[in-house]
Amino acid sequence: MSTALLDVEDLQVELITAGGVVRAVDGVSFTIGEGETVTVIGESGSGKSTTAMAVLGLLPDDLAVLSGSVRFGDTDVIADPKALRGVRGRTVSLIPQDPMTALSPVHTIGRQLVEAVRLRKPDLAKHAAEARAVELLDLVHVPRSADQLGRYPHQLSGGMLQRVLIAIALAGEPRLLVADEPTSALDVTVQAGILGLLLELQESTGIGILMITHDLGVARLVSDRIHVMRDGRFVESGDVESVVDHPSHEYTRKLLSAVPVLGPWDEDDTAGGDR
Amino acid sequence: MAPYLFKRLGQSVLTVFLTISTVFVLIRMAPGDPAAAYAGPLATTEDLAKIRASFGLDRSVVEQYLLFLKGILTGDLGTSYSFRSPALDVVLERLPFTITLAVAAILITTVVSVPLGVWMARRADTTRELGANVVTIAGQSMPDFWSGIMLLTVFAVLIPVLPASGFATWGGLVLPALTVAILQIALISRLVRSEMAKNLTAPYLTVARSRGVSERALVWRYAMTNSSIPVVTALGTRFASMLNGVVVVEVVFAWPGVGSLVVRALETRDYPLIQATVLVTAALAVTVQLLVDLAYPLLDPRVRLGKKVSA
Repeated sequence: MSTALLDVEDLQVELITAGGVVRAVDGVSFTIGEGETVTVIGESGSGKSTTAMAVLGLLPDDLAVLSGSVRFGDTDVIADPKALRGVRGRTVSLIPQDPMTALSPVHTIGRQLVEAVRLRKPDLAKHAAEARAVELLDLVHVPRSADQLGRYPHQLSGGMLQRVLIAIALAGEPRLLVADEPTSALDVTVQAGILGLLLELQESTGIGILMITHDLGVARLVSDRIHVMRDGRFVESGDVESVVDHPSHEYTRKLLSAVPVLGPWDEDDTAGGDR
Repeated sequence: MAPYLFKRLGQSVLTVFLTISTVFVLIRMAPGDPAAAYAGPLATTEDLAKIRASFGLDRSVVEQYLLFLKGILTGDLGTSYSFRSPALDVVLERLPFTITLAVAAILITTVVSVPLGVWMARRADTTRELGANVVTIAGQSMPDFWSGIMLLTVFAVLIPVLPASGFATWGGLVLPALTVAILQIALISRLVRSEMAKNLTAPYLTVARSRGVSERALVWRYAMTNSSIPVVTALGTRFASMLNGVVVVEVVFAWPGVGSLVVRALETRDYPLIQATVLVTAALAVTVQLLVDLAYPLLDPRVRLGKKVSA
């Protein structure tokens, strides 16, 4: 691997809850290089989303204690949390879990997109920023892109909103995307479109992706490497083939066996197709 | 929009009509005789009968009511017994004072309670927020006659920097407006706090933070705009109720508004004046409420554009 965009080492997150201190993330390490997709997979409560939020410094200061290191290039945002300001949006952006609640309902798509564009380029004139916003919407294949700027989030479907959010995430020209279950709130038919879009963007821009998911199908489709997480630790790590085809840990095998298998008649049908 | 407007206008007119009708009946059921109050203790039975006839009180209540309704349509609300001039004119003369007081109070309330509520929300569950909470609950629990008299004692008597009563100078506005505002600040700041606390932890705010939006923009542009609907509604409702006359405060500070006027009208059983006051203030309050309702769509695109979803 060339240069690491993100280098996480021995990350620990302790959450202060009503029931006491919980170690949600217990010493995980991983790196993501340019053009790579690294997936953290696990069931709810395994600590995978907490890992993503910790990387972005989005856990509330008074409720979460972080240790270890999270380095974007040379910047360690755990040692220097103030550096996050320069990192968020520019080096790393978030694609959220539920697009329906991820945009301010009283501001237009255009206003939120133009704001993101101008955060990166404060000197850009308004019409230039708007032109860039339309460009970004075209990039994520939002139809009638110019018309969408004046619309409000509630006027768009979940799939379209997720595309808008990807456009907003890209506005700062980041080198890494953190996708926190980006398709789990969407219809199955829309999921493939969003994943396809992320892969397409990766192909064209070489952006790195940290994918958080509980869905092995998603992980298998997009990942270069997979980390299987359980109770705050990585129980198994490796490239897709080795983790999926030769799981060494009992938990990974259970996770794999939980995936519904298509019936044999399907296989037969495909195999004996119309050739 | 137009059918909604007509429906709301109709409701407003109905509200005012029911209010004045209820008041019309209630004041006539209450003990006390306007003629006796007018003529004093030495009047003879014949005097009282003559006065009653001149007030039109010798007619049946139904007849009086129909005449009253006819008067409303022609803009004649009768002659005030004690002022001996048209009741509507007396009310309209006092109204600007009440409006001034209400505007000053609502301005103080907004300027203090919005930043205070935001501050409390950002420091939610800390000791300092707890302190602010205690203060606002105290403000909410203080009766206005008491806080008014306390303010009077401190700023007009012990440290005589402000006039104690009346409205001779703008300084005279400070203490009554402050007295009215104390309770409202307590109520509104707690509303701002709860709305802001909700929006400051909303997913869209976290996502905006993740793309590098500054904390200031997050608080004021995102969370505050999203909190503004219930806050504006509450401010409008409080303002509308203040226009009905802040009776106790107006009496404590001898403020020449409709609140102190209605007290005097009640004491003298001045039916036309009571009716005119209620009609004017009810109409005003209902109008403000209507304006607040019409402002919803301006603040919330979901109301303005409907909930239709398309790709």
